[in-house]
Amino acid sequence: MATREAGKKMIMLKSPDGMEFEVEEAVAMESQTIRKMIEDDCADTAILIPNINSKILSRVIEYCNKHVPTTGATGAAASDTVAPAALAEDLKIWDAEFIKVNRATRFDLIQAASYLNIKGLLDLTSQTTIDTISDNSLEEIRSFLSTKNDYLPEEEQTIRRENQWAFQ
Amino acid sequence: MSSRRRRHARSPASAPLDDDDLLCEILLRLPPQPSSLPGASLVCKRWRCLVSDPGFFRRFRLRHRRNPPLLGFFDRFDILSFLPTLEAPNRVPCERFSFQCPDFGSCSSSLGCRDGLMLLFLRERLQVLVWDPVTGDQHRIAIPAAFDDKKTLIGLINGAVLRAAEDARHFQVVLVVADGDDEQHIRALACVYSSKTGLWGNLISTPIPYQPSDSSFRVPTMVYTDDAVLAGGSLYWKLAGNMTGILAFDLEKQSLAVIRVPVDMYGEGKCFKVMRAEVGGLGFLVVSESDYTAKLWKRNTDCDGVASWELGRTIELDKLLPLKSEEKEPLAILGFAEQNNVMFLWTVIGVLMIQLESLEFKNLYKTMIFSYYHPFESVYSAGTCVSGGHDRAKLLVNT
Repeated sequence: MATREAGKKMIMLKSPDGMEFEVEEAVAMESQTIRKMIEDDCADTAILIPNINSKILSRVIEYCNKHVPTTGATGAAASDTVAPAALAEDLKIWDAEFIKVNRATRFDLIQAASYLNIKGLLDLTSQTTIDTISDNSLEEIRSFLSTKNDYLPEEEQTIRRENQWAFQ
Repeated sequence: MSSRRRRHARSPASAPLDDDDLLCEILLRLPPQPSSLPGASLVCKRWRCLVSDPGFFRRFRLRHRRNPPLLGFFDRFDILSFLPTLEAPNRVPCERFSFQCPDFGSCSSSLGCRDGLMLLFLRERLQVLVWDPVTGDQHRIAIPAAFDDKKTLIGLINGAVLRAAEDARHFQVVLVVADGDDEQHIRALACVYSSKTGLWGNLISTPIPYQPSDSSFRVPTMVYTDDAVLAGGSLYWKLAGNMTGILAFDLEKQSLAVIRVPVDMYGEGKCFKVMRAEVGGLGFLVVSESDYTAKLWKRNTDCDGVASWELGRTIELDKLLPLKSEEKEPLAILGFAEQNNVMFLWTVIGVLMIQLESLEFKNLYKTMIFSYYHPFESVYSAGTCVSGGHDRAKLLVNT
């Protein structure tokens, strides 16, 4: 992580398992939920993030750190030398690495992204899930997502018949 | 948040999928192809219930607003019959989009298709009709008096429909017409209807310059019957007659303007179509039989706000298409799908669908009939919205 300038406002995020993470306010405000807390003055020195354990919270912070718009001294230097398209490409590669996690972690990240309202992270985690299943058979999808087939065979047949063209 | 939201205490790994809102977030990212939602509805009853919800489908439509698949086209001169152009399993049968309206008489016409909506003019009733081919919904709106085409000089009105950006339930209709006392004094008129207010706005007008041609064949300038093109916040229509050019309607400023074009569009063996340029702004396409090319022009605006035309790419159709020299005869553009950047081109060997960026093409079928196609670019609910109701009620009782 790049060295942050002195004098930036810091926020303390606490996970329910007792870990504390000191992050820049701008990084924390990548989360619309936290942004609202800060703007409404509900945030004191520390914000407790319920439901998100320290392992997941640290990953979320890692994501926000990478995605926070770079405006400081270090950021200005970076954008002077790197074109926006290259930055976007760099982020895409970084995202692809970031999301190489097991299924359980990915689902936890979806939940965290939803609760904290971080659109980019929700997009990344949800889209990766869809991409993982979209080329699979029905049985593989059900097994991957731990979903049980609750159709009777004749019900399934009826649904197939309604849109036969879509199952050719 | 939805009132249906619920969480079950199960293993953490499956938790997000037990929450309807989160599962919806994931399912919204399904590809926009028509087989996506039927496929998802087969996974289990709960999935079917979620993707069958009309609210979900509206969000699905909004999400894919900029990348809807080109499902096929409606043939203007064949009772608006639908012809699918995708391959299985995304080939939606033509009967799914059959248009029925007793008042769509022989004098009625189709004006254009956008955002999965079709705009029609019921001339006998002096109404426009907005038809949603996916849901079957029809809305009729009486037109303002200035658009009674029987009283206008040329007798041709045109228009465009577009869905509201933030709410797929609402739409706008923009009607345009060229009218005046004589062929030298023509002005363009426009009026906007909003389904939110149920009202037409003020009449907007701009003069159309008179441009006498050398030809003895003179026609007062009219707004040509092609579909409008939406590019960078403005709608554009082709102007034909004495003045050859483009009529622009700025949706934000609610203003009209006339734009001149740099080349003779109506020379022999030429076909001209307004299109969205590859960079996103206004462009046009000229297909020429003499050298068998398709030329793509684009409108640039410099830092001082001065606009100019620039010739972009030239596509050499004789090199691209498998045409023998004796087959290099007439060409006609039958339609243009603005979001998929696909041109429907009539040739002797068949109607070709050409993607203008990748230059991939497909021969749809051979016909001797010239027609006009309204490309239909939309997501499709596959009827799941209609038939899902019963299961959903059952599911809610069960849980």
